Amino acid sequence: MGGTTPEQDEVRMIETGSNPTRFARGWHCLGLADTFRDGRPHEVKAFGQTAVVFARRDGTIHMIDAFCRHMGGNLARGAVKGDEIACPFHDWRWNGEGRCVGVPYARRVPLRARTTAWITMERNGLLFAWNDPQGNPPPPDVTIPEIEGYGTDRWSEWSWKSYLVEGAHCREIVDNVVDMAHFFYVHYQIPRYFKNVFEGHVASQYMRSTGRDDIKTGVQMDLPDAVTRSEASYYGPSFMLDTIWTESDGDVVEAKLVNCHYPITPDSFLLQYGIVVEKKPGMPDEQAQVMAQTFIDGLEVQFLQDVEIWKHKSRIDNPLLTEEDGPVYQLRRWYQQFYVDVEDVTPEMVRRFEFEVDCDHAIATWEAESREAAARAANAPA
Amino acid sequence: MRPLTCRRCANRVLVEKYSPIHTSVQWLGDARTDCAEFAGLAEAGADSAFVPTCGALRASIDEAVRAGLVPESRFGEPAPLPR
Repeated sequence: MGGTTPEQDEVRMIETGSNPTRFARGWHCLGLADTFRDGRPHEVKAFGQTAVVFARRDGTIHMIDAFCRHMGGNLARGAVKGDEIACPFHDWRWNGEGRCVGVPYARRVPLRARTTAWITMERNGLLFAWNDPQGNPPPPDVTIPEIEGYGTDRWSEWSWKSYLVEGAHCREIVDNVVDMAHFFYVHYQIPRYFKNVFEGHVASQYMRSTGRDDIKTGVQMDLPDAVTRSEASYYGPSFMLDTIWTESDGDVVEAKLVNCHYPITPDSFLLQYGIVVEKKPGMPDEQAQVMAQTFIDGLEVQFLQDVEIWKHKSRIDNPLLTEEDGPVYQLRRWYQQFYVDVEDVTPEMVRRFEFEVDCDHAIATWEAESREAAARAANAPA
Repeated sequence: MRPLTCRRCANRVLVEKYSPIHTSVQWLGDARTDCAEFAGLAEAGADSAFVPTCGALRASIDEAVRAGLVPESRFGEPAPLPR
């Protein structure tokens, strides 16, 4: 073989950059709404702060900074009294809008008795908080869609899990939305079709995939020769809603998968995911619930593999890509819009961009690899 | 990426092909208003952000590829959009 060019000999250096200290503007899902309606205050560490989340008597859920502006008591260690949260230190009462409305032992509430309050919203049984470092309310077109028929017989209950990820910025999980090849190595799927579209505050992924011959996961719901079609969209920086159709033996099962997170510090986040599965007419409730649980258990295995990668990898601002990798640079350009002031959002960040990956070479490689591994396993002495 | 004009509505985009199957499309304006197909969808209440492809643009791209106007290229980091 001939020699290499100087360019080929040059060592590629990783530009690690550094995690942003700012937290993204957008709706962030805090979890299943009902878990916050137990009459108790809940401490939530998010966006570099400590917050208390509590429900009023009318059932609405509120989120304010946890540290009492009086002497710094932690309101999450206090009690819900009526529609307010009471500090455990001196019983100061704070309402859901972040205003102190009473100091029982004092004649007057001091001026400036106001703390940080986040705008909250419930959708599809999930609780969301709006984070904006500039303090603006959410624009009307930036929201979370309703799942048609949620709360009716059409869907199973949420199977929901959360996992604390430390030592990684949440950009790592968002990168996955364009990462065609990791679906084989980390998630044991063979992508057959893969396309991304970014437009405005939405980043979508269209994928068709099948399982591997050698490694089976719950994501195929234990259905034989299942083909999975998936249409997933990030609504802003952190909340992905994914419609999944699992086709097997002429039947189709529809499911709605949520993959979301909220940042805790610049290098930690709470990863959450959940699924509801369509209940077919005549299908017993337990069967839909079992399918949801099988899927979410399969997903847990997969997410833990992601976590294992994130915990040990380097942050990398200059990934070295092939033509079979998805549009990581354009995705990050889109993601950047949530880390700058709204006035500084540029056309590059929001203009529509489409990228359809050619999966053919990868499919041929992966089919052969998983077929050979399955054959080896079948021939291995028991 | 190479400039391309949609034959249906004269929307201008940038296109790149790494292979016959791969396609990237960088839109230069607001997809909701610059594209006739998406504008029609918007009138019907649909948001182009959730539509994978504009059929007319896709047909225009395929035609340009057949005519040899979009030769295959290699991966390159994205350049700033033209002003």
